[in-house]
Amino acid sequence: MHPTIPTHLCLLRRHFPAPAAGLLLTFFLGGFLGENAAAQAGAVKSAMDVSQEAFFESYCLKCHNEEKQKGKFRVDDLPFSIDSLQTAERWQKILNALNSGDMPPEEEKQPPKNAKLEFLDQLSGAMVVARKALADQGGVALLRRLNRREYKNTLRELLGVSLDVSELPADGGSGNFDTNASSLFMSSDQFEQYHSLAKDALSEAFTRFLSPPKRFHKRLETEERLEAVTRSLQKRIDARRQYVRWTKAVENAAQLPENQGLVAELRRNKGAGELSRSWEKIPGAPSPVQFGFKDVTDAEHQGLQWWDLVPFHAFYVVQPENKTGAFLTFGDNSVNHSINLGVAGWPPGQYVVRIRVAATSEATPERRFLEFGKRVHGPYSLISTHHITGTMAEPQVLEIPLTLGSNMDERGFYLCEKGAVDDDAQGNRKYSAAKRRNGIGPEFALWVDWMELESVPVAERVLPPALACLQIPLGDDAVPAGEIRGALERFTRCVFRGAPASGAHLDRLLGIYEARVKAGDKHGAALRESLAVALASPRFLFLAEPSSDKTRRALAPFELATRLSYFLWGAPPDASLVERAGRGELTRPEVLASETERLLNDPRSADFVNAFSHQWLGLDRLNFFQFNGELYPGFDLSTKKAARQEIYETFGSLLRGNGRLTSLLKSDSVVVNALLANYYGIEGVQGDEFRRVELPPGSPRGGLLGTAAVMAMGSNGEHTSPVERGAWVLRKLLHEPPPPAPPNVPQLNRLEKKLLTTQERIRAHQEDPQCANCHRKIDPIGFGLENFDAAGLWRTEDRYTKPGLGEKRWTIDPAASLHNGPAFKDYFELRDIVAGRSEGFARGFTEALLEYGLGRPCGFSDDSLVQDILARARREDFALRSFIQALVASKPFQTK
Amino acid sequence: MNLPQSRRHFLRSAGTLLALPALESLGFRRFLRAADGPRPKRMIFLGFGYGVTNETWFPDPGQTGADYTLPAGLEPLARHKADFTVVQGLVNKHSAESHWGSTFWLTGANRYGEGGSSLHNSISADQVAAAQLGQDTRFASLQLNGSDPDLAGPGHGPGLSLAWDNRGKPLAGVNNPVALFHRLFSADTAPLEQRQLALQEKRSVLDAVLQEANDLQRFLSARDNDKLDEYFQSIRDIETRLGKDEKWLGVAKPNAPLAEPRAGLAGEAEVRVMYDLLLAALQTDSTRVVTYRQPISALLSGLGIKVAAHDMSHYSPGERMIASQRRDAAQSGLLAELMDKLKAAKEPDGSSLFDHTAIAYGSNLRTVHYLDNCPTLLAGGGAGVKLGQHLVLAKNTPLCNVWLTLLRGIGVQAERHGDSTGVVKELTA
Repeated sequence: MHPTIPTHLCLLRRHFPAPAAGLLLTFFLGGFLGENAAAQAGAVKSAMDVSQEAFFESYCLKCHNEEKQKGKFRVDDLPFSIDSLQTAERWQKILNALNSGDMPPEEEKQPPKNAKLEFLDQLSGAMVVARKALADQGGVALLRRLNRREYKNTLRELLGVSLDVSELPADGGSGNFDTNASSLFMSSDQFEQYHSLAKDALSEAFTRFLSPPKRFHKRLETEERLEAVTRSLQKRIDARRQYVRWTKAVENAAQLPENQGLVAELRRNKGAGELSRSWEKIPGAPSPVQFGFKDVTDAEHQGLQWWDLVPFHAFYVVQPENKTGAFLTFGDNSVNHSINLGVAGWPPGQYVVRIRVAATSEATPERRFLEFGKRVHGPYSLISTHHITGTMAEPQVLEIPLTLGSNMDERGFYLCEKGAVDDDAQGNRKYSAAKRRNGIGPEFALWVDWMELESVPVAERVLPPALACLQIPLGDDAVPAGEIRGALERFTRCVFRGAPASGAHLDRLLGIYEARVKAGDKHGAALRESLAVALASPRFLFLAEPSSDKTRRALAPFELATRLSYFLWGAPPDASLVERAGRGELTRPEVLASETERLLNDPRSADFVNAFSHQWLGLDRLNFFQFNGELYPGFDLSTKKAARQEIYETFGSLLRGNGRLTSLLKSDSVVVNALLANYYGIEGVQGDEFRRVELPPGSPRGGLLGTAAVMAMGSNGEHTSPVERGAWVLRKLLHEPPPPAPPNVPQLNRLEKKLLTTQERIRAHQEDPQCANCHRKIDPIGFGLENFDAAGLWRTEDRYTKPGLGEKRWTIDPAASLHNGPAFKDYFELRDIVAGRSEGFARGFTEALLEYGLGRPCGFSDDSLVQDILARARREDFALRSFIQALVASKPFQTK
Repeated sequence: MNLPQSRRHFLRSAGTLLALPALESLGFRRFLRAADGPRPKRMIFLGFGYGVTNETWFPDPGQTGADYTLPAGLEPLARHKADFTVVQGLVNKHSAESHWGSTFWLTGANRYGEGGSSLHNSISADQVAAAQLGQDTRFASLQLNGSDPDLAGPGHGPGLSLAWDNRGKPLAGVNNPVALFHRLFSADTAPLEQRQLALQEKRSVLDAVLQEANDLQRFLSARDNDKLDEYFQSIRDIETRLGKDEKWLGVAKPNAPLAEPRAGLAGEAEVRVMYDLLLAALQTDSTRVVTYRQPISALLSGLGIKVAAHDMSHYSPGERMIASQRRDAAQSGLLAELMDKLKAAKEPDGSSLFDHTAIAYGSNLRTVHYLDNCPTLLAGGGAGVKLGQHLVLAKNTPLCNVWLTLLRGIGVQAERHGDSTGVVKELTA
């Protein structure tokens, strides 16, 4: 049974497991630049250990031999060395039959549990190795399309625009990095999307850089809202008055002697329900419509539910602070639960948002956060969350840079208190809790004086490279035909990353320009049509490196520059890198190394930090679940976002300071901002910047295991999942990934009627060999992490509720022992064990880095490269940049 | 690889015969006379990825034939019981990915069937059908997707839709009902000459990028050219489509038999509107082959179910199993509505659309991590299969045998499909 087997346990695995005991691996790796790399890859063989022959003979051969061939399947001639697709298929069939319990058949002799377990362990491990060996690309990186992220970055670098590319299909679906060439497909729809996005990008760039600068500014003085809030209060009071009049009239009709019997009956049937709800049945009772309501439901909504909100509403409008600004509230959307500003029609470009804001003396630490986001109609979309340190006496002015994109619908913005618009239920819960506490409603925590949006003045218009290279006027006025071809030539060279377009291609582009002009387009518009075609051409969309099948060659300088910048920036090389490439300097190792340093020091390396750490650690899982707001009120969307950001910032901080990779396993410090510090209960951190903070002794934080993001990923938003967590640790930290979840393993439901602790439920996994095979390795690690709740906060107790059976509470016992490994008594000891295994961690990281950087799976033929990188990293005490430098300096990185 | 330089040669080499310009093409005339001849066959493939609730979706294997009790999961289909057949015992024997309910559903391919690659696929049954049924319609086939945010979404596996082309590459799908509506029905109001000019411009765009691709491919290794071939194929596909557009230039898009859908529909409403759109596409003969990779997460949240899709698939009695069962019932209810509408849609000869449509509804995943006994429900008269049955085939009968049966049934003379070993005689008897 796998009642809680995780998604990512079962995703395509990328990594080579530490060879299981007895698994035979033969390495015959030749020189890297052999004649036939693909054939070499086949030299790594996976095999079943001969020690399993006895099992095989006892339980399989009797029926599946040359004579009998039961089910038309024979295994007597099946090689133990799994080195061909055919052999792999036959072993896969055996693995499936054992996992599903189909073999050996019930009426035949059954293997002892342990023997079956070992056989399965061996075979599933051998199959993973075989699959990897058979899929080995032999160290050859394929022609690679720009992925969605790189495509967006590339247009930003070339044209200075920030395009919404969400309509393009997401990349990297099958468990690979989004740089994996073979999973980057191309379809006709996509071609059309690229073509149309290119037109959008050019049109935005022309508008942004060529039209005369115009200042845009809009300020909302929030006290303007007071009038509407007061009006809505008056409406509520009037509605109440009407409701009271109506119910009185119904009551009067009910009092009529002839209605007495009927009414007595109604009162009995309806219990505590309002009598007025049954007005239709009472002769003489007036309709709520006569009192201005749509129907009974509307009358009760306005007369009862609204009335419940009136004390808070009334309290709000009399606050003097609301005459010069506005308090933010939640739970009642008539009373400034958000403040909205729309700027319909404003052109794309760079803007700044300013907000004058203060936290009141009643603001508790967790209520000192302001959310800023985007909303047109429909859902709120959070952009950023800010720690408010200004006071009523001295408000602060918050500045948020903002890019308006080409989607003209996205011109509405909002402010609210953190978590106020996540979902209605959560707002209502907090509102009611406050009302129970003080009789009115939530205390006012944040006050906003005004909010404004302003275009960033462009002092000097620097044309982006792809426009600058054209060197012709770009407006409406006609340009001599002779100049267009030259402009197209320069443009294609720029966007094709240094490769020249052929004369024939330029002729075609020119033809498109001329046809547009002939059809009546002005020069600029016709030019854009032609340029858009270049941006839908393969040499722009693909990172092409000319090659032959026979020999491998060193990359040309521009190609190397391109690989390097797409690796570390996800974007094309800048002028300085191009210049060095042009001078042939990148072939000098010290120059390549210093350029690598320069790229890593550039803010654009944030793309590498985020994209790599997100995919390496599998952070997409954090999006899978909505967290239960009742159980985890602190883990709102802002906090979840900050938790994810913590991983990026931690990795980024290590990269900036060239810290040790292994500090991700255990550390005396964390990288947090005020929001996350407040969530973790760390004091003294102010503001939105993530920075390194020393931890008090005994803190469970410090290292990936202590982060809210990693612990929350190991849950379903409601309960923790020790299986999920254990598998993650094996896969990402210990580099001993469990094999993919096998199909067709029998499920058992015998625990359904029992109220058990998490551990009791999960231990059932280990009864059957098919499950124990992996779960004996996975589960103990998960048990050691049970002190973190589903949202990553520390706890000592847990409970489980099952409808009809009741609730069970227990004190968490994190003690367990690793499979074939040491025992630990708690989380801290487990963390120490994990931190002690930094070699495996470093190897896993190296393989991930290689896959990301080279755009292909890491195969056995990469083993010497992995060893080389690790050797250098070890010499440099696992400093993060040593891995990157070693990869960049390696021959495979510089070879096509 | 040698690719000829001119577009027309190129097209011929791609095996596509286009008469340019050819307003009086064969297909066009056939379309105009369509009302007289025998009604064309249609196919619908509805895939729901994460399987079903084992205990309550499959009929009792002991009751086969016409006289069987509908289990709870199929109960909403009761009124159509005589018009569909449930088949048990089917498997895609190469499938071993426990979360990939759609990648190989219509292909039966072996993921590891090709050395040096970790994801191999082959043509899907719908595309085999489209090669023939798609010749006379504006769209050779339509691929629809659910709105699950993650494209490779939980339960479906890699792919851009249920459809894979003849080289085993994924075909893109539409997940937005509004966009689909416009693609099918939005009238192009520009005058004919302008539209001809627009087509011509599109062709010169394709010529330009094709030129560039040809320039590039000369410098690339065979492996890289395999990858670049996807680009060539996408251009080829657009060429084919433009050729179609040209044939259809003089034919106005059909009037929409339904209103433009509201944006942002979710849950059951989303599936229902996609069903309505696919029905409208068939009714107007805009296409004859439709696949729909249905939403999972979006359906659950639309039903107010808090359990995440993957957790649900690992149900055990309790909240998760209830979620799984509610999902089954909702899906069956929606399918029943679609069947109502197909039956109500009358063809010019008085028969119903249902009579000429082959519907397959199922998944490569049975339940939890099981890949055997793929849930399979067949309906409609298009392929002439025996309906109103509960069929329990020999264990591990290739699912592709069913696809082959349907393909033959609609008149495609395929010899085999995927790992098929023959047609399912019990369906044709």
